[in-house]
Amino acid sequence: MYKAVVIGGSAGSFQVISKILMSLPKNFPIPVLLCLHRLKHVRSGFVEALSIKSGIPIIEPYDKDNIKPGIGYLAPSNYHMYIELNKRIALSTEEPVNHSRPSIDLTFETAAQAYRDKLIGIILSGANRDGAYGLKKVKQLGGVAMVQDPNECQVKTMTEASLKLTAVDHIFTTQQIIKFLSNLK
Amino acid sequence: MNKFELGIVDTRTIIKILQDVYDYDFKNYALTFFKRRVENFIRINNLKNAEFFIQGIEQDPETFESFLKFMAVDITEMFRDPSVWRLLKEELLVNIIPGATNFKIWFPEVSSGEELYSMAILLNKLKLAQNVQFYASSISKLNIEKIKAGFFDPRKVEVNNANYKRIFSEGELSDFYTQEIEKAFWDTSLIENTKFIKQNIIFDDYPKGIKLIIFRNQMIFYNQILQERFLKIMHNCLVPGGHLIIGNNEKIDYWNSDKDYITVSKSESVYKKKLS
Repeated sequence: MYKAVVIGGSAGSFQVISKILMSLPKNFPIPVLLCLHRLKHVRSGFVEALSIKSGIPIIEPYDKDNIKPGIGYLAPSNYHMYIELNKRIALSTEEPVNHSRPSIDLTFETAAQAYRDKLIGIILSGANRDGAYGLKKVKQLGGVAMVQDPNECQVKTMTEASLKLTAVDHIFTTQQIIKFLSNLK
Repeated sequence: MNKFELGIVDTRTIIKILQDVYDYDFKNYALTFFKRRVENFIRINNLKNAEFFIQGIEQDPETFESFLKFMAVDITEMFRDPSVWRLLKEELLVNIIPGATNFKIWFPEVSSGEELYSMAILLNKLKLAQNVQFYASSISKLNIEKIKAGFFDPRKVEVNNANYKRIFSEGELSDFYTQEIEKAFWDTSLIENTKFIKQNIIFDDYPKGIKLIIFRNQMIFYNQILQERFLKIMHNCLVPGGHLIIGNNEKIDYWNSDKDYITVSKSESVYKKKLS
């Protein structure tokens, strides 16, 4: 029923995302689109660190790669990552949005347009407002909007900004997010 | 904070008018990029909607030119991805340029010019500039004028200088530019060996006998059809043994690319055209 999950995070999200990825079964039925703020001059290391314990393969996609189920796509450093309507990745070097490139808003907004009501959007811990507008688009276009429980976040700014803008479907702890994803078929 | 959004029908109408009236064929641009770019252009210029956008470009040639400039996305910094410039400096250029006469380097979309000036500065530092002829194509006349005048955004000075330091241990980037209060401009003598080519999206006119093509992070704005067309044109332009450099997360991906190119560096996306 759902066709993709898109996850955004920044400061304080690394351990949460690691736990979520670790919980995913090898045959996870849908793709996972990851937009995490990262240092622009550190091109290597991040995808490897996320891959170590992940249940599904995590890659930094090439431009126009086809999006496949059971794969995690991490927005490469210093590029925006868009989702095309034909379910391909499109990278962009356009100017940063919310001081961020990759910008979570852009990945979420384009994923929402591509997957409409078949999308799950999750905003995790983070120190700026990037992602709030994107999550709103997910909700507007019929998808499921979820934020990590701010009480659990190392840095609450991003989840609180999202909650201010959108009546989300779920405010979940890491464990509840994991349980929700494990029930997907 | 609701942003203006362009519907799919309006997007198609705009693409058709740009093609029919102006002979710029954007239909093989990546759709998400094209749509977002037009939306942003409409917002920045207070054009309100697709109808006003079309009116705007029809009534005012300058609006159309500034739209073309907007579509040739600015390169955000000098020496973007310092590792590729280090590879050029330490391994590639020093092996392929010395001894060559009239070494031709082509930038198929030079956009805001940072890659051209970065290359010119690198060659100047390597004392190889005198052997080199640059060709710089762009869909934007305004960009070409700006590059010729040497203007760049002074807010970029900090990031530019930091990147320079990641490549060169000697000298300062400021050896190559002048900064005033709200202006900054490159030493344009760096690019005096440059032939500029104004083009529409489909090349009618492109240089031949090219030994190095720099085309990083431009194909990402195209769909696969246009990417393939560019890859074929670039293959035709390159001399056997010539090099092609594309963006870090771009790939040469068409049916016979393995027969056409040898990978020189996968991490920096450097390819060499096979000899036969």
